[in-house]
Amino acid sequence: MTLISLDSQQQVDGRPAASLRAEHITSGYGGVPVIRDVSISVGPSEIVAIIGPNGAGKSTLLKSLVGILRVTGGRILLGADDVTNHPPEELARRGVGYVPQVNDIFEPLTVLENLEMGGYLLTGAQVRTRVAEVGDVFPQLPPMLKRRADKLSGGERKMLAIARVLMLDPKVLILDEPTANLSPKLADSLLTEHVKRLAGVGKAVLLVEQRARAALKIADWTSVLVSGATRLEGRPDELLKRQDFEELFLGAGTTLPAVDEEDDDKR
Amino acid sequence: MDLFVAAFGFGLVSMSVIAIAAVGFTMQFGITNMINLAYGEVMISAAYVAYYVNKAGISIWLGMVVGALFGSVFSFLLNRFVYAPFMRKGTANLGMVIVSLAVSLMMANLLLPIVGYYSVSYQEDAGSLIRLGSIVLTRDQLIIIGVAVVLMLGIHALLTYTRLGKAMRATAANPTLARNCGIPTQRVIDSVWLITGAMCGLAGVVAALNSDSFAIANGAAFLITILAAAVLGGAGQPYGAMIGAVLIGLITELSAAAWSPQYKEVVAFAILVLVMVLRPQGLLAKRGALAAAG
Repeated sequence: MTLISLDSQQQVDGRPAASLRAEHITSGYGGVPVIRDVSISVGPSEIVAIIGPNGAGKSTLLKSLVGILRVTGGRILLGADDVTNHPPEELARRGVGYVPQVNDIFEPLTVLENLEMGGYLLTGAQVRTRVAEVGDVFPQLPPMLKRRADKLSGGERKMLAIARVLMLDPKVLILDEPTANLSPKLADSLLTEHVKRLAGVGKAVLLVEQRARAALKIADWTSVLVSGATRLEGRPDELLKRQDFEELFLGAGTTLPAVDEEDDDKR
Repeated sequence: MDLFVAAFGFGLVSMSVIAIAAVGFTMQFGITNMINLAYGEVMISAAYVAYYVNKAGISIWLGMVVGALFGSVFSFLLNRFVYAPFMRKGTANLGMVIVSLAVSLMMANLLLPIVGYYSVSYQEDAGSLIRLGSIVLTRDQLIIIGVAVVLMLGIHALLTYTRLGKAMRATAANPTLARNCGIPTQRVIDSVWLITGAMCGLAGVVAALNSDSFAIANGAAFLITILAAAVLGGAGQPYGAMIGAVLIGLITELSAAAWSPQYKEVVAFAILVLVMVLRPQGLLAKRGALAAAG
């Protein structure tokens, strides 16, 4: 069933050299593997989308990449360095930024304090400069710097979460379902405007998305994760051409609501 | 009436002592998630450390500094070598409470052969009486109030304006995200134990200084009052503990004037039970854990 062999780790098809690469990793909770033998990589200016049904292990994969979950097999490389099971604070220092799907901000802190914590590793002067810079990227934020973060709307909250991770100007950006709980309009602008622009300025963007079609539109490379294993990967246009594309999801015994256009219209 | 005004004066001193202790206790819970029931025993141990310094002919104010240092280092080591290893093994919260209770019992029993049963007191002239209307306080009591006010302002400044303080609040709110930001949460937690341990030690010395004499059994009594203030204010919240300390300090002293000083701890315990029944989340709800003031 696999379209491209998982072992073909050479960057074929003109993909950039990997900034972050996971090789055959196995990981899970309490000794029970949720993902098995999964490989994925992302390079500069590239958007890699991971799609798949609920419970496929997408978030588990991201948590393993950023050091929150212990990897029990395989290895993770940052550039040429092995960073398997290195602590999250070290990965942050080395340019890996992560925005979780939930608990993505410090709720009792103000917007400004959230940004300051995002820039914890910077000096005071650098923090002030970066706050102004991310304020230019997300113009909604500067007027609400003094507001408590738990008072923000869903869209503002996600903007803050992404602004927070941009404080350190990471090389690799890992986003777990950034459009969850956003209206279709906001979700669309987040993906086509912000995520695309971030890749445009050279960042390696690895993205888990429920809105599979929206993700395929902006992605340079897509990996389909089903039941903890990579089922399929390739360029989005090639995947979409495959007649069995949706069947692959359904074949796993799960539905793929996010592929339905209807779902995208739901509020 | 004058009796109650005088009691209000004592209330000011009591709330100062309780505030120093309760803010440290509640910060340990709020940031490191540890309900440290050994807190009262660390307080009384620090009081004894200061007692021996004082007995050697050194001023109790210097003894207070030594007591605070003892509390700081001891609490840091207690977390590093007892609590943290249990937490790393994934011991549940209730299990951690039992661990701290065990530490508390061990400390009390280890301390006993060293310091004995008997009550002791510092060699300190409490200084001239200062009258403010019907309120009569000693110089030492005024100093205690001053120390508490400065400390509370210091804690507010720490949490609101400093990088470390904000990192403490961030770690309290979302430890995983804090690590993803590159915050060395382990070092942040170490500093929490150093700072709150110093408050614990200081609180032990001022509590001992404020009573005519103290004995080893006072550790448990301290803990009840601190728990009452911390829970009343909303567990884990420094500003809540300050409010709780003010209320518990006033109510216990007023009850002492109206009823009998012997029942101060009973009153504190009754308030604790009432809060648990009527408003278990405390005056400031958990939602705002370690939030900025206002």
